[in-house]
Amino acid sequence: MASLLDASKPRINGSMLSQHIGRGVCFVGRVEKVHPTGKTFSVSDGEGKSATVELNEPLEEELSGIVEVIGMVSSKGVITSTTYNILREDKGIPFDLELYNEALKVIHDFPQYYPFEVAASG
Amino acid sequence: MNVPLTKGAVEALCKGLDVDKPVLQLLNIRQISNASGPPRFRLMMSDGQHSLTSCLLATQLNYLSDENLLVPNCVCLLKKTINNTLADGRRVVVVMEMDILKSAEEAGGKIGNPTPYNTDVSPVLARMGDRATYVNSPSLKPVNRHKGLTVKVSPMKASPMKANSASPGSSAKVIPIASLNPYQSKWTIRARVTNKSSIRTWSNSKGEGKLFSFEIVDESGEIRITAFNKEVDKFFSLVEQGKVYYISKATLKPANKQYTTLKNDYEMTLHAHSSIVPCDDNQSIPTVHCDFVPIAELENRDKDAIIDVIGICKSAEDVSRITTKNSREVSKRALSIIDQTGKVVTVTLWGEEAENFDGSTQPVVAIKGARLSDFGGRSLSALFSSTVMVNPDIPQAFRLRAWYDREGFAINSQSLTETRSAGTGLNVNWKTLSDIKNEDMGHGEKAQYFSCVATVLFIRKENCLYQACPSADCNKKVIDQQNGLYRCEKCNREFPNFKYRLLLSANLADFGDNQWVTCFQETAEALLGHSAETLGHLRDTDEAAFDEIFQKANFTTHIFKNRVKLETYNDESRVKVTVMEVQPVDHREYSRRLLQNIYKLAR
Repeated sequence: MASLLDASKPRINGSMLSQHIGRGVCFVGRVEKVHPTGKTFSVSDGEGKSATVELNEPLEEELSGIVEVIGMVSSKGVITSTTYNILREDKGIPFDLELYNEALKVIHDFPQYYPFEVAASG
Repeated sequence: MNVPLTKGAVEALCKGLDVDKPVLQLLNIRQISNASGPPRFRLMMSDGQHSLTSCLLATQLNYLSDENLLVPNCVCLLKKTINNTLADGRRVVVVMEMDILKSAEEAGGKIGNPTPYNTDVSPVLARMGDRATYVNSPSLKPVNRHKGLTVKVSPMKASPMKANSASPGSSAKVIPIASLNPYQSKWTIRARVTNKSSIRTWSNSKGEGKLFSFEIVDESGEIRITAFNKEVDKFFSLVEQGKVYYISKATLKPANKQYTTLKNDYEMTLHAHSSIVPCDDNQSIPTVHCDFVPIAELENRDKDAIIDVIGICKSAEDVSRITTKNSREVSKRALSIIDQTGKVVTVTLWGEEAENFDGSTQPVVAIKGARLSDFGGRSLSALFSSTVMVNPDIPQAFRLRAWYDREGFAINSQSLTETRSAGTGLNVNWKTLSDIKNEDMGHGEKAQYFSCVATVLFIRKENCLYQACPSADCNKKVIDQQNGLYRCEKCNREFPNFKYRLLLSANLADFGDNQWVTCFQETAEALLGHSAETLGHLRDTDEAAFDEIFQKANFTTHIFKNRVKLETYNDESRVKVTVMEVQPVDHREYSRRLLQNIYKLAR
């Protein structure tokens, strides 16, 4: 777990999940459905693609709106989450998920200008 | 090298045969007196053997004469001519396109010894006999075939010929609208109706009547046609907008520019013998004839001019309803269109066109006959008579679409219409702080204005406040008389009090550079978050709190709208930047702008 938090966790969207299997990622999306057990829920990204998030402990609170999930991508494309943040809609500027998706694409299209890896290890 | 004249060309032309680009020598040119309309020139051409006097210059070539290119003895190549037979059988050759091969000096005199060609009139008359009888127009004068051109070819009004309604396809040749003129009466044109008016009636001292008019277009140009009284009944239901017809036998007269904006020197009036026949073969006829003006050019046109314009609709506002001066309610919608010149202009649509317009697909919008106004600089308005076309089927539209998809969409265009939209950033001049030095901003005669996103690094606390005149509109610094009174030189008065005003010197920075700027009262209070009075009071009472206000302002980021100008003070020149407005950063708008800039760089 400690190693996961040290390593860089690139921000990704649904279409990039398959390229990050076995790696730590940061996924921002809108909560779709929460499983009755509270241990898993689905999120959709700015493009509309869905991903499933699994938690170690069941949810203790009502989850809705946009969340930022940090975790590892399993071989089945499920994010095993270590921690999550709720981007509250009632505070600050409302989060524009589509705009975030556009920015994500730029970051991934031009990795030479966004050297996050270097920053994390340096 | 002597360019030989085309021998036999004159004989062929007189016989009504087509000659392919004959080379002829101009022997004489004479202007025909014309009551109204453009001057008409009659030419005497020679092929070295014979001379031909009945040659008319098409008005579109009048410039050749105006520029003194048509000097007797110059040698010409007739690229395009139309051979017309007048009602009396005489032939007239109208020269539509001509090149001057040799000037008169180069030709060195008359080539050969041409004699006038005598047309044999009898076969022509014989032909006339079985077609129709005709009324001898009183204005016909006998043609004098001497060299020297003493005759006049008088304009023939379309004599009322009792011709049978022969199907146009068989006998008559179709001529282009651009070559129509009052001097030829036997013509047929094939054109599409672009605009048809409703029937209008009038009643004046001379009586009453009704009329309707329509405009037609073919590959060469357009012309307006009017029908009065009986012809209205005959033709109104037959003529439909968008359809193509063969039209012949109508009266040509100089155009009354008051009633039309079409580019044609003439206009047509239908009469009892006019013929309008629907035509099925209409592939070559354009649907509309427009003379599009590039948007960047609009600045050079006069206001109230009627303009054709085409562009991509970048954005369209929602339709709104407004009440006019006559208390009528009407819908209107403003669109922004851009074309290959990279300039944008606002176009206003009215009524149903405004309501039905859908700009969501960024369509090509073409408007014929819009009025250019100087509202907001330059803007366009659709008139009742304008034709608005969305995604028209014309080559310019396809070219625009291809250009826009390739590069046009990314252009940070300059709009000719200065809309007052504070927050939408339509006309904002975005710069970064390093641009100030790199672009030598403010060095010109006029001050420059720009906006930037920057972070406050430091604000000077010393001398940030000054004591100002308490009068309402006066902000001049007052002099402390040390007797409890403060003097204002501008108002020439003394006051027992003053008001505090802020004058900040702040250092702003972004990723590229930093810049010292000056902030006056309003922008200073916006940055610090407190009024000048409060600050003045705190400075005297609670210095710690005073310091904290300045600390809190550090490293806050805002949108600054600035004015930059090179100023000279006592032999020293410095670029001075003043903050005009401070706004909070709209992160979404900023993100979008950055993304746009990245996409542009990525191309």
